[in-house]
Amino acid sequence: MSSIAARPVVIMGRPYAQRRSWRASIRMQVDAPAGRSRLRDCEHSGPLRIQKVLYPQGERLAQLLLLHPPGGIAGGDQLAVELSVEENAHALLTTPGAGKWYKSGGDVARQDVALKVAAGAALEWFPQEAIVFDEAVAEQTLTIDCTADARCCGWDIVVLGRQARNERFMAGRWSQHIEIRRDGRLLWLERSRIQGDDELLKSVVGWNRHHVSGLLWATGFTPDEALIDQCRSSGEADVILGVTALPDGPLLVRVLGSSAEQVREVLSRIWTLLRPPLLGIAAQLPRIWST
Amino acid sequence: MGALLQLSSPALPVGAFSYSQVLESAIDKAIVTDAASAQAWIADSLKLVLGRYEAPVWCRLRAAWDARDLVGFSTWNGEFIASRETRELRAETLQMGYSLRQLLLATGNADIPGGDLCFPAAHACASALWGLSPPLALYGYLYGWLENQVMSALKAVPLGQVAGQKLLLAVRPRISGVVEGAFAIRDEDLSTQAPMLGLLSSQHETQYSRLFRS
Repeated sequence: MSSIAARPVVIMGRPYAQRRSWRASIRMQVDAPAGRSRLRDCEHSGPLRIQKVLYPQGERLAQLLLLHPPGGIAGGDQLAVELSVEENAHALLTTPGAGKWYKSGGDVARQDVALKVAAGAALEWFPQEAIVFDEAVAEQTLTIDCTADARCCGWDIVVLGRQARNERFMAGRWSQHIEIRRDGRLLWLERSRIQGDDELLKSVVGWNRHHVSGLLWATGFTPDEALIDQCRSSGEADVILGVTALPDGPLLVRVLGSSAEQVREVLSRIWTLLRPPLLGIAAQLPRIWST
Repeated sequence: MGALLQLSSPALPVGAFSYSQVLESAIDKAIVTDAASAQAWIADSLKLVLGRYEAPVWCRLRAAWDARDLVGFSTWNGEFIASRETRELRAETLQMGYSLRQLLLATGNADIPGGDLCFPAAHACASALWGLSPPLALYGYLYGWLENQVMSALKAVPLGQVAGQKLLLAVRPRISGVVEGAFAIRDEDLSTQAPMLGLLSSQHETQYSRLFRS
């Protein structure tokens, strides 16, 4: 473990005199030399590791559980995750719990995620939701590089403020940059930058007073209209849902809601619909989510 | 002055009148129901959507064009296209960009980049070729957008002509601030975040009754 500083940082309103800032990184590769996907060349430094590799649906699919033992990212922390899925391998990555961006004393907390999916390979990126505490200063990048016919689907669920405490995101900043490329060409991009109490959170063009935003993408296949319609009918009363399919991918689902569970429920339902046509594999949600 | 008026006029043959840029969907979902809610929608779009991304990207495209920086121009053009997150919004910017390029080619300007061109990129080129200063040209770009939004509201809410002029009077003074901000903002502060806009644009694809293509 490599701590870069030992200075007071305030977490959840209380001073943690001994809280250190962490730099952590993990770099991993999943390959499938004989039809069995396996985790290899997993290098990590600092508190980030693969807790388990599971095979709930046969040996072609390796399910990785990514663990960040501190449980949240505080001001000054820097996390880096690199995952490369090699030819014909299939990996699914999830996390055992919600990610947290803690209240910061002013320093930036950052996480950079770089995913590469090779020809013939498939990656499912399904971390649990990220909760952005009030006064967090969070910066995240997520880049997805697909090669040739690589398939990739994943989601990003963000909760602004801790709902259990009726907390609003009143100060701080949440920045996130997501981009999806195929053979180097940019297919889709979102730059997000939201200040605490941002006008956008109340605006009818923005979050319209919701607190939970969800995004799901799937690229590497051509969805037919019937499938898109099924996705469109997967909503719930308190969740606003939009589904679109861009001519050269990805299929994109956006939801806004007020409960992370509901947003996840709707997106899981859609993932269930997409999995057979996209990956040729039956839908089965990771068991860790129900524990 | 003449070039500015011509480039900002609804008579410019780029088909802007056929796009409501999600306003029609907001009306269908009863988010916009009258002059006041139309004004809120349009003013927020101007400040929070165009102001945080489209206008600053226009500035970057124009600067790259003026500096003959074709790599920079192509990067921002590609990024803007990729940031149009729905089928309709992407088709709209590409069609309008294509039409403006055709117009420029037909009027003797051969020096226009090929390939997919988003509307802000084509507009930035046109404004340079027609000798407009960047702030003035961006003002014209945003005013043209505003007028088109108001015309969409007139047809789809619907609103009367006087209500439309009142809307223009109310929102027009905010354009200058957006122009100033667009030239000042740093790359890392750009934001495309507008989830309701994206959602409602997706929903417009299957809207039962539609006057507009976006």
